[in-house]
Amino acid sequence: MKGILSSFVDGKGFDISLVALPLTFLLTLSGLPLIYNVLMSFQQVDLFSLGTFWRPFVGLKNYAELFAQPETWPIFANTAVFVVSSIAGQFLIGFGLALFFWTNFPGASWLRGLFLVSWVMPGLVVGAIWSWILSGDFGVLNFLLRESGLTDGNVFWRSDPNYSLWGVILANIWFGTSFNMILLSVGLSAIPTDLYEAAELDGANAWQRFRTITLPMMRSSIGAILALGLIFTLQQFDLFAAITNGGPNNSSNVAQYWAWELSFRQYDFAKGATVSVIMIVFVVLASIVYVRSTRHEVRR
Amino acid sequence: MGIYKYAVLGGACALASLLNLCVAAKADDATITVWSQDRDVRPAPNLIADYNKLNTGIKVEYREVPFDDLVNEALRAYSTGQAPDIIAVDNPEHALFASRGAFLDLTDRIAKSTVIKPEVYFPGPLASTMWEGRHYGVPKATNTIALYYNKDMFKAKGLDPDRPPQTWDELVDAARKLTDPAANVYGIAFSAKANEEGTFQFLPWAQMAGASYQNINTDGAVKALDIWKTFIDERLASPDTLTRGQSDSTATFNSGNAAMAISGPWELDRMVAEAKFDWGVALLPVPEEGAERSSSMGDFNWAIFSSTKHPDEAFKVLEYLVSQDHRMFRDFGLLPARTDIPFAETGEPLKDAALKVFLEQLKYAKPRGPHPEWPKISKAIQEAIQAALTGQMSSREALDQAAKKIKVVLG
Amino acid sequence: MRHTFREKLMLAVALVFTAIYLFPLYWMFVTALKSGSAIFASPPALWPADPQWQIYAEVWQNRNMGRYIWNSLVIAFGAVAVISVLGTGCAYVLARYRNGWVDVGLFLILMLQVLPASLMITPIFVGFSQIGLLQYPRLAVILAIAAKSMPFFVVLVRTAFMSVPQELEEAGLVDGDSRVGAFFRIALPLARNGIVVSAILIFMQAFGEFVYSRSLIQRAELQPASIGLNSFMGPNTNEWNGIMAYATIYVTPILVAFVLLQRSIISGLTSGALK
Repeated sequence: MKGILSSFVDGKGFDISLVALPLTFLLTLSGLPLIYNVLMSFQQVDLFSLGTFWRPFVGLKNYAELFAQPETWPIFANTAVFVVSSIAGQFLIGFGLALFFWTNFPGASWLRGLFLVSWVMPGLVVGAIWSWILSGDFGVLNFLLRESGLTDGNVFWRSDPNYSLWGVILANIWFGTSFNMILLSVGLSAIPTDLYEAAELDGANAWQRFRTITLPMMRSSIGAILALGLIFTLQQFDLFAAITNGGPNNSSNVAQYWAWELSFRQYDFAKGATVSVIMIVFVVLASIVYVRSTRHEVRR
Repeated sequence: MGIYKYAVLGGACALASLLNLCVAAKADDATITVWSQDRDVRPAPNLIADYNKLNTGIKVEYREVPFDDLVNEALRAYSTGQAPDIIAVDNPEHALFASRGAFLDLTDRIAKSTVIKPEVYFPGPLASTMWEGRHYGVPKATNTIALYYNKDMFKAKGLDPDRPPQTWDELVDAARKLTDPAANVYGIAFSAKANEEGTFQFLPWAQMAGASYQNINTDGAVKALDIWKTFIDERLASPDTLTRGQSDSTATFNSGNAAMAISGPWELDRMVAEAKFDWGVALLPVPEEGAERSSSMGDFNWAIFSSTKHPDEAFKVLEYLVSQDHRMFRDFGLLPARTDIPFAETGEPLKDAALKVFLEQLKYAKPRGPHPEWPKISKAIQEAIQAALTGQMSSREALDQAAKKIKVVLG
Repeated sequence: MRHTFREKLMLAVALVFTAIYLFPLYWMFVTALKSGSAIFASPPALWPADPQWQIYAEVWQNRNMGRYIWNSLVIAFGAVAVISVLGTGCAYVLARYRNGWVDVGLFLILMLQVLPASLMITPIFVGFSQIGLLQYPRLAVILAIAAKSMPFFVVLVRTAFMSVPQELEEAGLVDGDSRVGAFFRIALPLARNGIVVSAILIFMQAFGEFVYSRSLIQRAELQPASIGLNSFMGPNTNEWNGIMAYATIYVTPILVAFVLLQRSIISGLTSGALK
């Protein structure tokens, strides 16, 4: 057995210290705020008592009240639609584009770089641009749809309860596609090309190669991207603030925007915290799925 | 490899400048901090810069806080003992702070002051600064809404440009005549957005019909909401009225895509600069000939946080700010909330004519609240507007529901 | 080298995709050039009748953009520095082992970033004000961003380390290297590309960060460009052309830099160290 010092240089001690520092940092800066939110959902929160952890506890009263509100379930349903559609759209389009640019025709890497605009742009700006594009009367999307004969009249993306959520989803897919594409590109480029050459010799067609080589080799990338995608989608806030404000009549409201609205528009901080705790529960479930999915392929 | 070098260099630079600049804080004894949403062309930063030039020994620091965050920032700062000394707060939110003792009671100081005289203020703005008969602030400026109309379009559609609509029926009628989908023109533009702007625009209608926020489901208010619904359903106003703020909806008037617009005097400068047509402003139409007039009252109030360590100095700064009220309109295009400041012509005829109307309309302006839980009351009203205009409830049902929610808040 | 017909076709299709995808960017650029009421004109003009080119210079000057962008750079570099230092080692360890603890660690890291910044800011503000960190506002923002973005970095860099064959590291150990040495001399260089790509992604996010900066930085001289942009927007004023001009100035240099960089990074990956 070696001493502590050499264990630091040579053994588990080194690994533990590498993990311990960032984890402590995260637990302090993200963990405590999270606990603050969780505690708040069980408390009676006064406007001017934000500066403390300890406030009168009220048990599950906030939860009971929340679920008694008629808008609660529709908003959670919207959240589910938003998350699933956004992730599906971003991932499929991102994967398609990554595969497309992977074929490496001249100019591919230049053009692929341009796709990163959406990642570079601050959410504030993206929201402003899309609220513009989606606007009913002078929005350029309607203009293009009309000119190309796809629609007769204007679609009021922001103000028609049937479309408002989809307007935001559209913007969010645009926003997230580049993130998916670039990470999938990195994953794709890590696959050794000789695998494909061998498969081609064996007479496998493009689809078979995709299914038997690309997908399995990309598993961990895909798992990571979907998990991050879920978290990013649940954090998407700017687009709602800029495009619909969750309206009209909550038709495009989702949990993360609603939690903010409750806390900072109506100053009902306890309810806002309650909604955020419910979101946390969902993400816990999703994280478990992600962690399990990466588990059996950690290299040995 | 160049990338890495630059990254390291950049990181080093960043660190160096951090260490350098953070030391600068901390100043002498009486430093007064002021928060408001005013940006460069608005009063607060300019008046404060002027004040600092006077070298009174009191140093004033200014922070611009975006409108949407002002109250949150203030709550958070107050809860942790970091509140500014002076704040300019939107008038319906004044009571939230005043009722909880977060603002300093200025009644005695105002009584002794030679600069701040409560009797010179319009009653509406003054009421919004008060709580239980005590003064917790001073109105900073005021505004209200009225009807802008495009005189050229009135002429083109055979309406009399010198006789704008007087009643609701006339307004709907005019909107019908002026709407011209082929030319991309809506009859009227307003805002029914689900935020304070929607409440701000709707309450005058309800009030003119005899309703109030305490009593929002009267027949008159239902009629008012029905008229809004007519505008949307008949496409006399853009469906985006539901999600568009006042600024953006008035912009469609400026660009010639709406023939009338309900908005405030803050639009005057932009309109003078941009509108390529003849326009005028009229008082808000009333339910029927001779009915009571009403309008909304907007804009901000000054207040001093009760946590201030320098109440006397803060009050001196406040007195200075008030003493500059005569510049409010001339330099910053805002209406002072005072009756004793004579209206000065600007030399811009359209603007001067419009201002006279706004000053007249201001006489009927009513504050929202004051009530410490105004945001919840307002939310109930916004929900009713949105539910009715999207057709998910009738106006009656929507307002009944709002009345129920408001009753809970009022207790 | 002559391009085949297939390659030309691919390029053409790629150009169309890119054009569609970049349309919002184009729209930002064009809206900036329109006069106030032309923006609201219906139907919209795809190119303004009288482009207002002077708006860029105006906005740059009136808005003091130089100072704002400098602050954004300081914050972004600071956040990247903190995250890279803390996150890389963490990702490495999480990639090396397979046991319950790693699962717990990964799980915690993901969990900790679930709430949007807009809901985390109140407790962070309270905590920072109590330990006096608000005296150093940009540092406070850097730490807050680091906490927010590190999980993202760790998950990405972990995948990069996982593609480094462990045999190489073991070979290093056999050759007499210590664990620390093996980490710095073998694992780190091999995962370099993944780390740099992730760091750049973090940089860009931090460059546009808004929520924390807005609340934690009160003095105008220290605020980043996102705050400057927000001051255009308000209930009674929305100078859309100014907003878009500001956004263009804000985003373009970063975009250009990235397009130049990514070429060497991502295309370098295919032929680089991994083979």
